[in-house]
This record gives sequence, C-alpha cells and structure tokens, in this order.
Amino acid sequence: MTEDNAIEIKGTKKGLLIYIKPDYDFITIREHLINKLEKTQFFFKGAKIFDIKGDMLSNEEKEELENIMTTRYKMHIIKNETMSNNDVETQDMFQGINEGNTRFLKGTIRSGQKIDFCGNVVILGDVNPGAQIIAAGNIIVMGSLRGIAHAGSDGNIDACVAAMYLDPTQLRIADVIARAPDGDYEKPKNPELARIKENMVYIEPYLNKK
Amino acid sequence: MGEAIVITSGKGGVGKTTTTANLGTGLSQLGYKVAVVDADIGLRNLDVVMGLENRIVYDLVDVVEGVCRLKQALIKDKRYEGLFLLPAAQTKDKNSVTPEQMRKLTNDLKEMFDYVLLDCPAGIEQGFKNAIAGAEKAIVVTTPEISAVRDADRIIGLLEASELRDPLLIVNRIRIDMVRKGDMMNIEDMIDILAIDLLGVVPDDEAIVISTNKGEPVVTENNSLAGQAYRNIAKRITGENVPFINMEVTENIVTKLRKIFGLAK
Repeated sequence: MTEDNAIEIKGTKKGLLIYIKPDYDFITIREHLINKLEKTQFFFKGAKIFDIKGDMLSNEEKEELENIMTTRYKMHIIKNETMSNNDVETQDMFQGINEGNTRFLKGTIRSGQKIDFCGNVVILGDVNPGAQIIAAGNIIVMGSLRGIAHAGSDGNIDACVAAMYLDPTQLRIADVIARAPDGDYEKPKNPELARIKENMVYIEPYLNKK
Repeated sequence: MGEAIVITSGKGGVGKTTTTANLGTGLSQLGYKVAVVDADIGLRNLDVVMGLENRIVYDLVDVVEGVCRLKQALIKDKRYEGLFLLPAAQTKDKNSVTPEQMRKLTNDLKEMFDYVLLDCPAGIEQGFKNAIAGAEKAIVVTTPEISAVRDADRIIGLLEASELRDPLLIVNRIRIDMVRKGDMMNIEDMIDILAIDLLGVVPDDEAIVISTNKGEPVVTENNSLAGQAYRNIAKRITGENVPFINMEVTENIVTKLRKIFGLAK
C-alpha cells in the first residue's frame, strides 16, 4: 500500500469530504495532505470542502489543516454554512445498517472517550459512563453499555442499539433522545435491543424467552 | 445583573463540587435564579453530583464554539424551578476554551440569573484561569489539613493577582471531636494563616457521601448537619447575617455542633 493512505478525499453533493484515517500521527497526516494537494494543485484549486472527518484529530489540528488548504491551496471550507435542504440529508444518510461499513473496537471505552464513525460500530467490551459512541449505523456492545450511545447519527431512524447489558445514561437514535430514569429503577437481566417505534425509543429483549 | 462566584481550592478532593452543588441548590431554595457552571472540562462531576448526567445533550464547549445556544445547553434541575446547570464537556480538555470566552459566557449568564456559581477544577493551570476569568467573587474551600491550607493560601495569592480581592473561606469536613482533642487544625489557626473572612464551616458528615452518590445535594435534607451548614452559607451569600457560634463550648458533641451551626441557643 502506498503512503498516501492517511488521507482520502471523497466528493459528495455538499462538497469534498476529507477523511483522515486513524493510526497516523499528525505530522504524517499533514505531510500526506500537503503531498496529495501539491500533486493535484490545479484540480483542487477553488474546491469546496464540506468537512474533515478524523476522530484522532483535535480541533486545533483540524484548524491547522483547514488553514493549509484555504491559504496555500485556495480551497473553501463550507462546513459551517448549515444546510437546511432535507433531501440532500436523506440521500447522504448512511444506508448500510443491514450490510455495510462496520468498525470493531476491542476493550473498554472509558469516560471522556468518544467514538464517532460513519457506519456500524461493534464494541467488544464495555462502554462506561461518560463515554460516547456515535455511529451513523447500528451500535452493538458485547458488554455493558453505561455511557451515551447515538445510533443513526445522520438521521437513520431504523438504526438500533443492542447490548449484553443495556443501561445507558442516554440513548439517542436519529434525533430521538431517551434517558435513564431518575432514582432507582429495574436493571436489565438479559441482553436488550433499543429501536424507534412511533417516534419513541423502545427497549426489548431480542432473545426468545426460555 | 447577577453575581458570578467562583468556587475554588487549589487542592483536589476538598469538596468544591459538593459545595457548588449545595450552595446552588441552597440559593435556589431561597428563591433565587441560579446557574451552576462546571468549569472542569474533561473531568466533569457536577452533573453527577446533581443527578443530571442523563440529561446532557450540549455542554459548555458547544456553547463557546457556537454549536448551540446557551439556553439549549442549560439543564433545568429536577427539583428546583430556578436552578440550572451548564455541564462541562467530557471529551475535550481545558484548552478548548479561553478566559475571554469564559468571561463572555459568564456575562451572558449573569444577565439571566441572580447567581452564577462556577465550579473550578483543581490546580492552577488553564482550567483555573478559565474558571476565575468571569467571576467577581471567589469562595475558597479548604479542609483542616496542612496540605489543603497550603494550597488554599497559594490560590488566594493567585486570586488577588487576578484582581479577585477578598475571597471568602469555607472550611469543609471538620470534625469537632478531633479538633477538641487537638488532633485536627482548628478554625482559628486556619484563619490566622489565610487571613480571609470565614463564610462557613461544614462538618464531616456521612450524609454527604450518601447524598452525593444519590445525586441529591445534602442541603435538601433538613436533619443533616452538613445540610444545615450549607443552608446557612447560602443565606450568608445573600447578605443575611447568620451568626457563628463559639466553638470552645464543652458539652456533648451533638449539642456543640448544633451550637456552631446555629441550631440551638
């Protein structure tokens, strides 16, 4: 594989999406971006960038990349201009909840950690309170889900959240938000599945009763 | 226009967050409109202590970055009408906001509320600077331990350097029986070193642990001594004169404590 892999540029209706892959340090990412743009300078000049996607980057690092692209290569960043066109949104929505891009994560996701993925997410471990899992598709936790889970983050109301022990602080599917009840409440005994029915989050066991 | 008060200590674990939650609740019990702000970005706790964690959608950093409006991020307390929480972000760090942004945020909050209480993170770095930026009053929390008092002294110096003069002192987690035996620093010693006015004394109380874990501030419990202490402090913040009672009375511990916190005559 070539070194170019840290950066992937994709065209969408809203503009270019720059994907930054994890497992690279910022210096390499910056270098790859510059290399890539240098080679294709004229092609990208004046291009509209919709967003930079990369969980690994801090805001400052993203800003630095944006600066390089806007000043050196005369590209435009348009992500802050909000789009109100719903048609565009539904078409761009992640469609792979039955079959599609999936990210597997092994180990405990702890407080302050945030996983944001444009696809399905499977956690082979626990999600602790204060942690956030945001997925455009389904979220499956092969352990205890105690943090915040947001499935169908780009608007897919058919997305679901399932966990061996489903006890999230907050559960969001598309734009529906549910939260844990206040005070003491009955904790789950079996693996459960959450999904939207009639604009409400429903939680039910997904195994047949024995 | 309200008043912004930062609650700080320097040392961690002395009870800043507990104090913020209780004073916020105490002031709202008195009928004031109160906003409590968690300035401990990355290690937020105030939401948990107040039992509002499951309601968080937007946070302080979202407001500062313009992702949402201030009103959208404010979480209404489940018990008191006039009490609101502005939670910190958990997935960011202290460098995500600047003192200027905090000053603007605090000013916006002061226009909406009678009191804005800022829960400062431990330490003297960026987080501390952010938390004190918009405040015009400070409350320093300490416990009767040399290390906590030393840190409180350092903090008072830094507050004065930032034009936050005359901070007030809360001595937390005092055990009168130990003080009497001479095993714990007494309040006079601490005031002697720190040379600032005493706002209140909160006894070490099991009820604090229980209420914190339940997410319900102890100030709402009428039969807890610590709760009574916080209620008195809240009243003092509003300017009411609630007397301190002389510590050096020898009677049994309960009546002694009751005297200190003004429950008995």
